[in-house]
Amino acid sequence: MDQIAHISPILTALLTVSAPLLAFLYQVVRGKRDQSGIISLIAITISFVCGGLTWLSIWNKPTISIQLAWFTIGKSTFTVGLLLNNLSTLMLLLVPTVALPVHIYSRAYMSGDRGVHRYWMYLSLFCFAMLGLVIMDSLLLMYIFWELVGFASYLLIGFWFTRAAAAQANKKAFLVNRIGDLGFLIGLAIIFAQFKTLSLVDLFGEGGLIYQCVLINGQWVSPVNSMDQIWLTLAGLAFFLAAMAKSAQFPLHVWLPDAMEGPTSVSSLIHAATMVAAGVFLLATVFPLFNDSALLFIAIIGTITAASAAYFALGQYDIKRILAFSTISQLGFMMVGIGIGTWDAALFHLTTHAFFKCLLFLSAGAVIHEMVHLKEHSRLDFDPQDLRNMGGLKKYMPKTFILMSLASLALAGFPLTSGYLSKDSIVISSFEWALSKGGLYFIIPICLIMVSILTAFYIGRLLFKAFFGEFRLLGQLQEGLQNHPLHEAPKTMLIPMFFLGLCCLFPVFSPNPLSYHDSWLMDGLLLDEYTFAPSHLAHLVIPLLLLSGSIIGWIIGWKWYVHHKYPLDPDSGIQKTAFHQGYINEFYERLFVNGTLKLAQFCYWFDRHVVDALVALVRFIVLTVSQWSVWIDKYIVDGFVNTVASAAYWAGNQVRLVQNGKLQTALYSVFLLVLLGLIYLIFF
Amino acid sequence: MESILFYAFALLAIGSALLLVNLKNIARALFLFFIVLFAMAGLYLFALADFVAITQIMVYVGGVLILMLFAFMLSNKELLKDLQDSSGSFLSMPKWQAIPLALGFLLLMIYGIMEWQQSIPTWIQLSFENNTQIVATDNNIQQIGLRFMTFYVLPFEVISIFLMMALIGASHLSRKERNR
Amino acid sequence: MITLTHFLVVSACIFCIGLYTVLSKKNAIMILVGIELMINAAILNFVAFGKYDKISYGGQIFGLFAIVLAAAAVAVGLAIVLNVYRHYQTINPDEINELKDK
Repeated sequence: MDQIAHISPILTALLTVSAPLLAFLYQVVRGKRDQSGIISLIAITISFVCGGLTWLSIWNKPTISIQLAWFTIGKSTFTVGLLLNNLSTLMLLLVPTVALPVHIYSRAYMSGDRGVHRYWMYLSLFCFAMLGLVIMDSLLLMYIFWELVGFASYLLIGFWFTRAAAAQANKKAFLVNRIGDLGFLIGLAIIFAQFKTLSLVDLFGEGGLIYQCVLINGQWVSPVNSMDQIWLTLAGLAFFLAAMAKSAQFPLHVWLPDAMEGPTSVSSLIHAATMVAAGVFLLATVFPLFNDSALLFIAIIGTITAASAAYFALGQYDIKRILAFSTISQLGFMMVGIGIGTWDAALFHLTTHAFFKCLLFLSAGAVIHEMVHLKEHSRLDFDPQDLRNMGGLKKYMPKTFILMSLASLALAGFPLTSGYLSKDSIVISSFEWALSKGGLYFIIPICLIMVSILTAFYIGRLLFKAFFGEFRLLGQLQEGLQNHPLHEAPKTMLIPMFFLGLCCLFPVFSPNPLSYHDSWLMDGLLLDEYTFAPSHLAHLVIPLLLLSGSIIGWIIGWKWYVHHKYPLDPDSGIQKTAFHQGYINEFYERLFVNGTLKLAQFCYWFDRHVVDALVALVRFIVLTVSQWSVWIDKYIVDGFVNTVASAAYWAGNQVRLVQNGKLQTALYSVFLLVLLGLIYLIFF
Repeated sequence: MESILFYAFALLAIGSALLLVNLKNIARALFLFFIVLFAMAGLYLFALADFVAITQIMVYVGGVLILMLFAFMLSNKELLKDLQDSSGSFLSMPKWQAIPLALGFLLLMIYGIMEWQQSIPTWIQLSFENNTQIVATDNNIQQIGLRFMTFYVLPFEVISIFLMMALIGASHLSRKERNR
Repeated sequence: MITLTHFLVVSACIFCIGLYTVLSKKNAIMILVGIELMINAAILNFVAFGKYDKISYGGQIFGLFAIVLAAAAVAVGLAIVLNVYRHYQTINPDEINELKDK
């Protein structure tokens, strides 16, 4: 073990990143011949092992970084390098740890799909991009991998590209992500203008350039440059815009629910566990850049996101969409964590969330998988993802039910789960933060507490609707299927789920099930100082409040959904708004899509009637001029030449006539010459 | 009286020549040629060259013209063709391009003559001054005979031999070939 | 009074008519006639000038020589015309385009 630990962490980190790349390239070359995905599986296993080794050798040890000059433009040299610190190695471990179970799960889940070779290819590409993103030292390289991640996500959302909805969804995801990429680029440009370097070590490392900056007289002064103070805020907001798109923050969250058109395993890996976390990771990386106004903005947006997404989740019937909105909501929590300055808590929540959300998705995938099988066998036409078609699944898929309940408890922040630790860390921190600021700032923790209770309620609703009561389609099924319409998921799907279920429990993260301060993860990332004083009261009251709220929520949910005592009108405005996701999509459709179309139509009209007319006018003028010049050329220039030529021809012809061998003609010529000669002699 | 006669002869010569040129019928043209020659002989008389005029009439009318008529008639096909063609028009202008050339020459010559009048050669001036012109009362024939036998005896002999050669040559050319 | 100029003008006219005949006629006999006209014009000039040469009588003598030469030329020319006619069955100079035997 010691000897293994002596292997250079840089080498292992490189291996972690390059294994999926090699798998991707291999599968690109192999094409359709490689259906099994075994290569991707091996690659991710290697990544997992190497990522673990890297993590072991770096965690709580000094930061290691390596830089090489990449290229030089003018006087600025761009470097390519690796940065291995607690944050990046944590991600380096987390990504393959979540990806490995998903890979194993996918072997069963995706088997038989006609495009499965593409699936493995894309999945490897995604893993490569995500791993590259976390360990890169240069913001520029980070941006490149950021784009790659987005691209891989685009490919995977549109994996079933023959479905119109999938094609639309990946387009939407890509376009919305472009907005964020723009933010990243602007942030990059501001950073470069201010510091003349994009290296993370130089910028954010110990005693880095960012710490040497001072604000003097409204000027943001760095060792190499100075600019107006507003640019500091703008840079922070630009990076936050990038994170908003990638991490699906309100109002750019619209792509994530639609992204559920991709395979469920993809949703679990990318749109729940890892890729959407990239935004949080980015913010954690560039955290020192944010000033107070930017942080406040982040916190507010995070709160809005958390609240709105939780509200929208209540109105959804599609099992995956509920989970998607819960992801958005949890990402909102993380943003609040960043916004209040406790990015360690945000990262902690990110890590725990990755596991339990992945598990939730995989369980949902298992359910959907079985529903699809049922649909194929029974020849009934129903939506396999719709909660209204489920019910009573506990009886048929007990193991899935247990695992999903575990993950749901973690999501709801039930004690003894990992979710309890991480979520409480954010909520309590926000409360302490508000306490230090006072006044209106209390809205944020109160909102968060309410959202937490709502979270418990909507995930309870999902569980109750899907797993309790009677199977709603039972009546419509044929005789043979009625006794046992659904089965437990296959073992290859269950094993990774069990693994993830284990990771949802508190011992993985902290020896003390009730205090997040004892978590190794928080220790490792521990910030030197919080901007606010800890409050012991909050540590006692808030968990109790959350727990009691959740339990009350569940009891209500149990009554409403299991005993069918639903008191609300499903067609009421509130419900409808939730179902339509607050009409945000419609709003965007009206504002941006139609606006763009109108603009395009106007441009078309302009092009058609003004530009084309100009072109036609120019064409007409040119044509007329050319016709004139043709005429001139033909009748004046050519005419002159032709006249000369024909004169010469005519003269030659006339002279030729003289030489016709006839006596009198010769005589005539002689006399003519004599006459001309005489005239010449006499007169000239 | 003298001038009127001169002009009459001159007009006769020129008019007949013009007509002769433009006639289609060769037989008629040849007879017009006869008239031209007579008129020319008349003009020689005004130059006090009576012997030349007589020779002209004898040689041309007696020899050349008869020869021409013979040749014309011997080329009988042409005769027939000309007789047929004459049914069309009386005059013919076959090659009009020659007219400007001829007119050009005429104008040039008349211009030359007019210019020349300003500077008459000295020997003519001298003959006027010494009054050594030929006059009508001179015995020209005797004088010519004397000159031929004295001053011009060599050219005279040469021309007689030349004339004989021409006659022999002409008869040789126009002989009938026996073996064809 | 008939001056030298009168003769010269008349002879010029006759000469030009002869020239025209030579150039334009399509009959060898008529061409000969044209030549004769030109010679006659020349003779007229000779005798006109000879009037002022009483000593040597050069004008009249050369006029006589010219007449003789013209007669000889006509004799030879007509012989040639006859021969040509025998060969070609025509005396149009335009159609006579070779000298060799057929």
